[in-house]
Amino acid sequence: MIDDSTKPPEALLKAIARDLSPVKPSPLPFPLVLRMAPLAVTVASLILLLIGVRRDHDVLGPLLTWGASIAQLCLAIVLVWMAAHESTPANRLPKNVVYFVAAATALVVVAVTWLTFLTSPASGPFRVSPLIMGIVCGIGSTFAGGILVGLFCWVFRNSLTTRPAIAGALYGAGAGVAINASWRLACPVSTPWHALGAHGMAVIATAILGALAGRIIAARRQSPSN
Amino acid sequence: MSDGVEELRTLMIRYQGGSLDAFQEIYAQLAPGVRRYLRHLARGSEMADDLLQETFLHIHRSRATYNPAYPVKPWAFGLARNVFLMNRRAAQRWAEVHESRQELPEFPVPPEVERLGSADEVRRCIAGLSAEQSEALLLHHEWGFSFQEIAGMLGISAATARARASRGMAGLRGALINLQRVRA
Repeated sequence: MIDDSTKPPEALLKAIARDLSPVKPSPLPFPLVLRMAPLAVTVASLILLLIGVRRDHDVLGPLLTWGASIAQLCLAIVLVWMAAHESTPANRLPKNVVYFVAAATALVVVAVTWLTFLTSPASGPFRVSPLIMGIVCGIGSTFAGGILVGLFCWVFRNSLTTRPAIAGALYGAGAGVAINASWRLACPVSTPWHALGAHGMAVIATAILGALAGRIIAARRQSPSN
Repeated sequence: MSDGVEELRTLMIRYQGGSLDAFQEIYAQLAPGVRRYLRHLARGSEMADDLLQETFLHIHRSRATYNPAYPVKPWAFGLARNVFLMNRRAAQRWAEVHESRQELPEFPVPPEVERLGSADEVRRCIAGLSAEQSEALLLHHEWGFSFQEIAGMLGISAATARARASRGMAGLRGALINLQRVRA
């Protein structure tokens, strides 16, 4: 028989009554992402302030210098918006849309890299070994992306998603692309192996970091102590 | 927009403000439907009752993530589905669900097909549908969710939700007609 009882069990009621502090409803995905965007822009701008704008920006022109980075930043916002949707029960986006945007982002990053290299094939400062440059850019942008992943995790720590790894990967990819948008403006090296190997790998690393964080948060929510 | 949707929304806002009465009222309105949905997902397993309590605990912990712009019912059903899927991942419990698959699931009978066979026959035929089709069929015909709402809950497009429900209904009709022929 189906138990159609409409009264909550005593134990459940007690658990609810123990913590009934008023809560503020979270904003919708888009306003939420817009609230976080200034922080992402601040972290990205700090990188630019610390390292400075690449010397060949005159050769690249405003469209390939600033336009390409703004386009990447917009894509990052779309990725985080999708992650916010994925984190809301009953508000998920179709899987195909998620995969399509992820693939489109990868294509945009690769296309910007190639166009930048074709317009200004700069191989960076001669004094520094390419390997060191790669390591610095890879670790530096992963670290900066990690800061944003940490922020996203904190904002969405209470959300309940069916696919925490996918939601986390979307947050991570959004963070990685946002950082890449500013890092490419500062990095003097435009060779594809560096831009894709170091910067691109950093985006993948932050996506993996986000996926792991998503899994950990979901596992913690499931543990009996919570 | 129906009064029921608005009433649940108002209750949810009161619950977010700290009202226990509002929670009890939300439970009274949602629990029977959510319980049936979980029973359907768990293929009639007794664990549906545990999952129901877990769902309401998650609703409580995640109450801040509810935005009044959303209708409450799809949000709660979506949460119930998440709770079920998270639990399914725990291997031991998943095994329990499979063990109980032999039992006849006690999920509800859509009114559209009630006249085609007894409730027991309809349930058997629904159990014979694919999990995707039966879920979309019941969410739409039994619990009254729109295809857009089902799409949001399942992470598919509204067209896919419509196609699944429609194929499920066609499959159910076909199975019931076959059953009638055999009986005749």
